[in-house]
Formats: sequence, C-alpha cells, structure tokens
Amino acid sequence: MRVPVIDLGSQWTHRIWRTLRDLECDSEIMPPDVPFAKIADADGLVLSGGAVRLAKGEDSKISKCHALLDEFKKPVMGVCAGQQFLALHFGGKVAPAKTPEFGNVGLEVVEANDLFAGMPKRFTVWASHNDEVKSAPGFELLASSSDCKWHAFKHRRLPIYGTLFHPEVVHTQHGAEIYGNFVRVCKR
Amino acid sequence: MAFDAARFVSQKIGELGQYADGNAIIATSGGVDSTTAAVLAKKALGRKLHCVFVDTGLLRKGEAETARKNFKKCGLDVKIVDASSRFLNGLKGVTNPERKRKIIGGLFIRIFEEEARRVQAKYLAQGTIAPDWIESGAGIRDNIKSHHNVGGLPKEMGLLLIEPMRDLYKDEVRLVAKELGIPSDVFSRQPFPGPGLAIRILGEVTKERVEIVREACAIVEEELEAAARKRKMALPWQYFAVLLPVKSVGVQGDVRAYGCTIAVRAVEAADGMTANYSAVPHGVLHKISLRITNAMKDKVNRVVFDVTNKPPATIEWE
Repeated sequence: MRVPVIDLGSQWTHRIWRTLRDLECDSEIMPPDVPFAKIADADGLVLSGGAVRLAKGEDSKISKCHALLDEFKKPVMGVCAGQQFLALHFGGKVAPAKTPEFGNVGLEVVEANDLFAGMPKRFTVWASHNDEVKSAPGFELLASSSDCKWHAFKHRRLPIYGTLFHPEVVHTQHGAEIYGNFVRVCKR
Repeated sequence: MAFDAARFVSQKIGELGQYADGNAIIATSGGVDSTTAAVLAKKALGRKLHCVFVDTGLLRKGEAETARKNFKKCGLDVKIVDASSRFLNGLKGVTNPERKRKIIGGLFIRIFEEEARRVQAKYLAQGTIAPDWIESGAGIRDNIKSHHNVGGLPKEMGLLLIEPMRDLYKDEVRLVAKELGIPSDVFSRQPFPGPGLAIRILGEVTKERVEIVREACAIVEEELEAAARKRKMALPWQYFAVLLPVKSVGVQGDVRAYGCTIAVRAVEAADGMTANYSAVPHGVLHKISLRITNAMKDKVNRVVFDVTNKPPATIEWE
C-alpha cells in the first residue's frame, strides 16, 4: 500500500508519515510541486496541513496541487490546510475562523461514515487553525465542533476526505484509527 | 506495526559504516538524544569517534557531573570543554529568543570546529531528531524556533553532518537507547534544550539570572520527582522553571518587596509535538512556590503556573 504525503508545510507532516508507516504503508513526504509521474502509482494521497493562509489567497506555493488532484483518481485525504485546499479545489470557500481553535476540541460526528467507523459519536481531537472551510459544494458534512461546522467532510461521489483537526498528533483520540480507516478506503 | 528499534539499530550501524574513512566528532550533552546517537555511532565508527561535551555555563544544577557519570555508564570517553565564559559573553545584551538560539548554535559550531581540528575530524555527528528540524523550518515550513543543532548552525560550517536519528521522535529514541543497552535512568531523563537555561530566561541572560533560574529549576525538579515517588502524581514528560522579565510588588516581613516572577511549567507529551499542561496537585505547587520564594527571597517574590497546551504555546517559552 503506497500512500505518499504531500507536504504543505505543517509542523505535523512528518507525524502523518510516521502514522502511515506504523500502519505498514509505504509512505514518503513529497513537495507540493511533485510531478504527477512520481505519485501516479500511489494507492492514496494525504495532503498535510501548512502555514499557508488560504483564506488570504496565499496559495502560490502549493497551487500545483490543483493539477495533481485533477489527475489523481484514487483516494485523497486533506488535513487542515489540506482540507481547506480540497474545499477550494471543488469550488468551496475558506475564510478566517470566527473562533480559531488551538489545542483540544470536542468533536461530534454528525453523520455515520467510513472515516469514523468504530469510533464514538463524541471524542477529543486537537486542532491548530486560523482559517476554516465556510462552504464545500459536493461535500457531505461528517463532523463538527461547537466553534466550527466543517471539521470533517467527504465528497459525495469521489473517495475524497478532509479533516480540519489533526488525526496524526498523539493528543487526538482515535487519530491512528482515522488514518487506518482511510488506508482501508485506499485498499478498496 | 510500531517502530522496530532492533531493525533501526542494525540498519543504522550499517549505514554509518560509510563514514569510517575519517575521524568524526560527536556533540554529546548527556541528554537522551545525543547520548543515544553517540552509543550508536560508536558501534559503527569505534575509535574514530570522538565525543565532546561543552559546558555552556547554561546547564542545570549538577548537570555536568550527571553527564560525566552517564557517559561512563554508557562506555563513552568524552572530552569536556568549559566554554561558559564564551557563552555568557556572546549573549550579553541579547533579548531576542531567535538571536539567542543563533548565537548559541554558532558558538557550539566554533567549538566543534576547534575540537575537529584537534583530532583532524571530517564529520560532525549529532543527535538531531525530527522535532529539531521540523520546528527550525525551511522552505514551505514556518520557523517556530531555530534549534541550536539545525537552524542555529552557521552556513559556512566546515564539517560534514551525520544525523542518524533525524526521523525519530523522543519516544522512539528511548526505544533505540534501550535496544543499545543504555541504562534506563539515562534514557528516561526529561528533555533539556541545547541552548540550556538561556531560553528559560526571558530577557537578557546574565550570570545572576542564570543562577536564579537554575535554582528554581532544581526546586521544581526535586518537588515533582518527590511527588511522583510518593505517587501523588505521574512524573510529567517535562518540567522546569522559567524566569520572566516581569517584576511585581510583594511584602516580606512587613517590608515592601519588588522582585522577579518564576513560571512553573510541567507538561504531558509523547513526542513533544503536542503537549498538555500537567494537572499538578495544588499541594505540590504550593510547596514549590514556598521553596522558591523563601530560598530566593531577595530575587523572587511571585510564582505562577503555566496552564497552556502546545499548541498554541510551545513547551519551552522561547
């Protein structure tokens, strides 16, 4: 199972790599301008978080990922800035969060789904975001917090998932299981 | 499958063999990462590896002695370099945390270069781990803080770097240390930053302020370790004192006081990339506060407890 991580500049990109490695995936951290040929044979792709403020239109350093997403037909999971990038890619909106969340967040799963399979309806996750998704056409809402609606989503037709919180950090409950569920989607 | 320390050790010893064409020096602070890196590198490079311990004058109480004992337990022969006056002079008048880190990183390298010349070394080995280069930033990744062994290194360094543990976090380093037969009291030590007490002193680093924070750190360590032994709490992942650049008014024996503030920090973590503050029992905090303010009554008259997680804070204050 080959699941590379596209590095949008997160403090936790390497944690995603470690989590996937522990799930026995063949993973590798790749820059956002990686040529499609290098990921063409991957079974899935993770877009990390990053310091880029997509709400302020700062996407020049990662804009090549749009072409990557157009070509890559297999499962994709975006985390934080990665999730926001997915929303923008499909015509959604991203803006500064009214209440940014740093550290622990109470998550509520609003729609039973394969990403959160086997997990309770409510659990604690860790986030670290200034911006958030405001609209995501084509996506189904999976989980929210009291301060942020679009904490997790899934595309209605495509195997594309996103979380605003960070399942790769040890303080997020069930974090490794979330990646495990994504890897299961990649195996389908 | 979780991290396989035995496989890592045999693989790295093999890879390190390629550097046996010349001498190498390794920077050892006595901490978990650099001690583990030194024991690992020694297995591959044998007598070609020269260990150097720099006494920066920014170490904790008794640290140089503890380090010496730990090196002995691990079978490492270490050259001790006393550079405390160089570090204190270099930091004179500096208050910016990034400037402090860069100055300290630069001084470390100057000293390593001097030692490298002495033994005609070609390589510099370091116990750099993942959070060091991640937080130092580069390219698309923001600089959070320049770790002395990464972002603090001057660009013109004349030594080739060897960093066998770049992809590991502290929890994995401890598994490697165990695999290498390093005693548990050595690999269980709490993390201590390379720039030392300099980044636990907000504002200028002076000899007097080093002594204040050194004593406060010792009290925090003693009290939390005693509380953990008495099973009042679990020993935090990291715990220390910070000297704040804030003075406040107090009253001591009917006399007005106007002294410094110490912040107590204690956190739970696994890899240091996220952390939550420890729920230290009030009785333990109370004892720490009393001891600090009584032992240093002329300097400190207020103690506060840091209740911030990482993020949004970092574990250390600078």
